[in-house]
Amino acid sequence: MRSPGRRRVVLGCVSVGVLVCFYTLVSNVGRLVDAELLPEAFARLSRPDLLPPTQDIFKAVVSLVTGELPPMEGHHAHPSGHVSQLVEQHVTLQGALLVSVLRVLFGVAVGGPLGILTGFVLGWNRTADDYLHPIYVLLRSIPSLAFITYVMLWLGHGEAHLLIPIVYAVFTTVVIPTYHGVRDLAEVYVRAARSLGAGGRLLFARVILPAASPAVLSALRYSLIIAWMTTVGVEMLMGDDGIGHLLVGGGLWSSRLQIGVDPAVIIVGILALAAAGYVMDAAARIVSDRVTFWARRRRAW
Amino acid sequence: MHKNQPRKVRLQVDDVAYVYEGSTRTQALDGLTLAVHDNEFLAVVGPVGCGKTTFVRIVAGFLTPTRGTVLCDGSPVRAPGAERGYVFQEDAVFPWMTVQDNLEFGLRAKGATPTERAAVAAELIRLIGLQGYERAYPGELSAGMSKMVEVARVLATDPSILLMDEPFGSLDAQTRGQMQDELHRLWEKRLKTVVLVTHDVEEAICLADRVLVFSPRPGRVKAEVAVPLPRPRPLELRLSPEFSAIKRRIWAELGLAEAS
Amino acid sequence: MVAALRSIRVRRGLVGLLALLALYGLAAQIASGRLPTRVSLPMHDIEGVELLPTYSSLAEESVFLVQAGILLQGAAVSTGRVLAGLLLGSVVGIALGLAMGWAAGFEYALDPWVVLLRFTPALALLPLYVLWFGLGEAAKIGLIATAVAVVTLQGAYQGVRGIPGVYWDAAAALAAPRSLVLRRIVLPSALPQILASLRIAIALGWVTVIAAELIKPSMPSLGYLLALAGAYPRVPTIVIALATIALLVLVSDGLTLAAYRWVTRWMRRRHA
Repeated sequence: MRSPGRRRVVLGCVSVGVLVCFYTLVSNVGRLVDAELLPEAFARLSRPDLLPPTQDIFKAVVSLVTGELPPMEGHHAHPSGHVSQLVEQHVTLQGALLVSVLRVLFGVAVGGPLGILTGFVLGWNRTADDYLHPIYVLLRSIPSLAFITYVMLWLGHGEAHLLIPIVYAVFTTVVIPTYHGVRDLAEVYVRAARSLGAGGRLLFARVILPAASPAVLSALRYSLIIAWMTTVGVEMLMGDDGIGHLLVGGGLWSSRLQIGVDPAVIIVGILALAAAGYVMDAAARIVSDRVTFWARRRRAW
Repeated sequence: MHKNQPRKVRLQVDDVAYVYEGSTRTQALDGLTLAVHDNEFLAVVGPVGCGKTTFVRIVAGFLTPTRGTVLCDGSPVRAPGAERGYVFQEDAVFPWMTVQDNLEFGLRAKGATPTERAAVAAELIRLIGLQGYERAYPGELSAGMSKMVEVARVLATDPSILLMDEPFGSLDAQTRGQMQDELHRLWEKRLKTVVLVTHDVEEAICLADRVLVFSPRPGRVKAEVAVPLPRPRPLELRLSPEFSAIKRRIWAELGLAEAS
Repeated sequence: MVAALRSIRVRRGLVGLLALLALYGLAAQIASGRLPTRVSLPMHDIEGVELLPTYSSLAEESVFLVQAGILLQGAAVSTGRVLAGLLLGSVVGIALGLAMGWAAGFEYALDPWVVLLRFTPALALLPLYVLWFGLGEAAKIGLIATAVAVVTLQGAYQGVRGIPGVYWDAAAALAAPRSLVLRRIVLPSALPQILASLRIAIALGWVTVIAAELIKPSMPSLGYLLALAGAYPRVPTIVIALATIALLVLVSDGLTLAAYRWVTRWMRRRHA
């Protein structure tokens, strides 16, 4: 990325501001102007159930965060059925986010080490790699969400069938960069260490691990995003809680996706999701940068 | 420094051949025989692809010859080890460790105590003139300094023989000259048996007692050129007629010049 | 082909695969009498479920699915969606990425939205797209296109930013017009990065299409097949659907990898 600077901040804010204003205008068109005066195309756009007016979005945010419905105000629009229902079920935005975040963290905590271990084994041991690599390639070609129904048949309708695809997704994301880190990046250092008489644990702990760590950490950081995607997916498909569930208002078997889903809720959910993902990624970046500070380019003398 | 009586042989290479199996079968070395004596500085030069790197990798123990034997101090070479130190062309200093940790690494592998390690590291830092940089990370050093750390790191384990494969290949010309001087100075202080592989003929003549010229692929020793120039060898030596004569001889063997 | 077989790595890989298949077959045979065949789903309990289908039932099922046209049609529809989304998304993504890489102002203005999209899993947009575009193809293809666009945008951007400064200077010194610089310098230099990101985009596109088809199933498609098989449940169909998806993903990934290798052949230096 180009270096941060005033121009970047200003242009960014202006761009966001312009779009928000434009959106508010368009989404409120139905209220400001009499419907018959509008051309056909605009009339369609002005439906509040397609393009929720900005103020409705705000109201939804407030409701979902505080867990309370706003007081009914005369001829103003009632909160949608979706929001009411969510509030009734005591679903709050932060609650749903927390549940999803926990799933993501679980996925990374379990899938990460498994993937790193596998990547290490495959990268270090040529023989194991020769035998196992094609199997790995085959398995990682299957999108992890696709497993969900099968897992459910084995393990029932608990938490496991949601978590396993997340773990699997993280696992497959992490293996290859670790493999590459051990095999390619660490190669010259391993040779140097061998020539210095190092072997076994010293070689592993002080040479291979640090040499591969930039690749491994960046893979873990990327796996966060993948875990998010999978979490939202499983929650949308079959979850009873979490932000994915919020977005669809029900699981696969209840077809609520077609009726009564309030777009304001969806937009709120998306923004919350993006914010949470951004924060987690930023945290991961800070940690990973701190640990691999030495991998920065050498200053030219 | 030049003794007339025969010296102990540190490294004996007998009829070594090496074949690279791959999409195309390449005979990198064939019938390579040479000996390196104790405290001798030997340089190996040759045209591109003549197998110099393959040779030094075999001696280091990274490759196993398809034929022939390599004996270091009388025992056959099977795997890399600290008695054959190796300095790479690429950056092999450990960037995640401080200079001090890098220097101590080989001793750590040997099982030396922290005090022993620190003492040796301190001496080496003085030797390469990097006092004050013990806590620095290689990323903060210049390429030349970083390379010297690598050399010192190898010296820390007190190897029988020091192998160097184009160690200054990735440095600019000016730094190369400085590094060559440094290496020379180090060698004089800490006499060691050195095998230096280089494409730079001047570098070879400046540093070595003897220069071996490899033939083109498959590589074997084509010619041996002694360098009886007195040490120390300052920069001006490169302008002397004796230097040029040796250079011409080597170039002739490489096919780059007419033998006078 | 024969030469490839001589390679020990290929041989071992085949052995590994065959061992896996054999192990599965063995497990399925052993399990066939012993695993419970009753499964409890949220709505009801089902009997007669074969949790680890044997090769014979898999073969039977495949024949049925192919003959009924379900499998091939489904595969065609899903693949079509992926390709359509890929085309649309990559055109938009690459164009925007190149623009953002070239002009700082453009980058600064667009960046907040790109960041927003990058941290929004494509699937989260599905309900929104379905609401806006209805239950037809547009929503699904739009979703895939969005996911692809985000990835290829990043790739194109990195590709442009990664161009060594000297190339820009050389072009300026030769007073090259913008369009020429774009065609002959920027695009070729950025191409490796773009292709690398395309590879990721294809994988992502497949994940997205399957997920979208699972969430909003419509006949015929592989996701629908998977969902249906999961709902029934008919495990042999699940396995076959998974295998088909894996095959399609592998093939598309392999093709992209080959394209990447071909394009970057001028970039790889032979080691001396």
